[in-house]
Amino acid sequence: MNQALAFALCLVGFAALVLATRRQQRELVGRPLAPAATRLLRAAGGAALLIVLGLLVGRQGWGLGLVMFSGLTTLAASVVYCALIGYARFGAREPR
Amino acid sequence: MTGRGVEVEDDPRGAGRGIRQSMSGLHTWAGLLLGWILYAMFLTGTVSYFKDELSQWMRPELPRLQQLPDQAVVAQRVADELGIIAPGASQWSLRLPDARNNSVYAFWLGATRGPGRRGFAEGHFDPATGHSVSSRDTLGGDFFYRFHFQFYYMPVLWGRLLAGVAAMFMLVAIVAGVITHKKIFVDFFTFRWGKGQRSWLDAHNALSVFGLPFHAMITYTGLVTLMALYMPWGERAAFKTPAERQQLAAELSAFLQPGKPSGQPVPLASVEAMVRQAQQRWGHDAIGRVNAVHPGDAAARVAVTRADASRVSMSPQSMEFDGTTGELLAVHDHVGAAAETRGVLYGLHLGRFSDTVMRWLYFLVSLMGTAMVGTGLVMWTVKRRQKLPDPHRPHIGFRLVERLNIATIAGLSVAMTGFLWANRLLPVALPARAGWEINAFFIVWAATLLHALLRPARSAWVEQLWGAAVLLGLLPILNALTTARPLWRSLADGDWVFAGVDLMCWALALLHAVLALRTARHGAGVRSSTQRSPTVALASGEGAR
Repeated sequence: MNQALAFALCLVGFAALVLATRRQQRELVGRPLAPAATRLLRAAGGAALLIVLGLLVGRQGWGLGLVMFSGLTTLAASVVYCALIGYARFGAREPR
Repeated sequence: MTGRGVEVEDDPRGAGRGIRQSMSGLHTWAGLLLGWILYAMFLTGTVSYFKDELSQWMRPELPRLQQLPDQAVVAQRVADELGIIAPGASQWSLRLPDARNNSVYAFWLGATRGPGRRGFAEGHFDPATGHSVSSRDTLGGDFFYRFHFQFYYMPVLWGRLLAGVAAMFMLVAIVAGVITHKKIFVDFFTFRWGKGQRSWLDAHNALSVFGLPFHAMITYTGLVTLMALYMPWGERAAFKTPAERQQLAAELSAFLQPGKPSGQPVPLASVEAMVRQAQQRWGHDAIGRVNAVHPGDAAARVAVTRADASRVSMSPQSMEFDGTTGELLAVHDHVGAAAETRGVLYGLHLGRFSDTVMRWLYFLVSLMGTAMVGTGLVMWTVKRRQKLPDPHRPHIGFRLVERLNIATIAGLSVAMTGFLWANRLLPVALPARAGWEINAFFIVWAATLLHALLRPARSAWVEQLWGAAVLLGLLPILNALTTARPLWRSLADGDWVFAGVDLMCWALALLHAVLALRTARHGAGVRSSTQRSPTVALASGEGAR
């Protein structure tokens, strides 16, 4: 259960980081966001990932915690990436 | 990752042009030259994270353990059995059953090759009886595991050296790739659909960057697992006396140094009592192996080692007993800092500490690594196809790479599935049966190479991908027809090892079917002169819209 929570937090973190990149802002929002919003998103995304790291290391120790963190972040980034591809292919059909 | 032109085109300032150009070339060629071997190592290594489960599936006669037997009792049973079937063995080692293994695996050194000629023998034993398992002769998932670092049909040492050279190339390719890829963070989530070579590059980058910590770790730690073979000089210079070398060996593994037998027969003390002591120290189900030297001799010693679960390090933890009295001689539960570092790196590579979730993470990220190597190999042809003077008659080098790609990427899936088919179809009584399963694997693999050489490239891709999909899809049905453990029964019994392998076959069949469909659709109706390489990962989507 805790691992599911950690994974969900990783997803949230990467989703925020996606929205902090200019290319994706244009894709998803249609225009670049204000620099302050971008900075906020980047900080939030980074913070979410750091919280996950803290949770995992706190529960499993540095050894296992880091391994788990590495695996979960890789998987979460991949899921977010695939969701972006899916959105670009099928979700963005309506004229903006 | 990217060749000349591509990276530089969109960098008008030409910043970093020199180093990136040279790194790009290095990445391309370091990746390609042993890329096919690396792909095979990656895929068999990926599967090896579930080698124990696969071994259980390949020995369907061996019932699943409803609950874990008492390891101390089992150890005694198998030790007694070894005394009967391998009398005079100068050493034996047995791996006890655990959550992932329903048999005891043992190997021993004895007079196996006729009188006076000693050699290693191995076997699997039933924890319930202690006798050899009454199951079909197979190497099981261990075949993929051993192939992963030493291949087959060649001396073990050569195989391991080849694997090491391939891993060193991989390490160079990773570092060069990171330097080449100049916009790691900017392009972190970028995928440009339907842009041909660009799409391939984006997919290759994503697979590489998301798993970068893992890929770098697994390649480096892979070298560490066999570091004594690849870099023996420091060790030779530092440890010269036999005593020092023995101390080094004790830091690296729990196998006892045999020493000399006394020649006086003394029966082995109770192995059960020794394992009991170890259970009190580490936990009831936490025993990994029992190793004995000179059992039945006055010089006998026994080491009971802790299981690999629950700690990252693989550095040995063991208790050493006098084999004649059962007296505890020593407890080895920590090693020096250098040995512990190596133990952690070694442990990270094998991932034996993993629980189920972590094991799946290892498997999935490792699969991404396989796809990374695969997309890299295919990209080499994608990039060069447009530059061919005559696409209908590519030069010999291009054709060679293209055909090897097909036989390695699509063909290996067919061959690995063929190995599982052979496990179910070869007669149980066939002599040297385990060897024939492996021969079947290589016969199928060779057939895919022949097929790739004889067919037009795109047809070869499509047909082999479909072949893999069909073989994988039918495997659970074959299992239902040839064993007493069909999928519905496994599901009803909650036997997740059998159900998991069957369901995984269907998931992989689906994956191969999707790849086959995309490859077939891509370029259909496009004149072959403008046709780019078939797509194996994320197709570039023309014609898919």
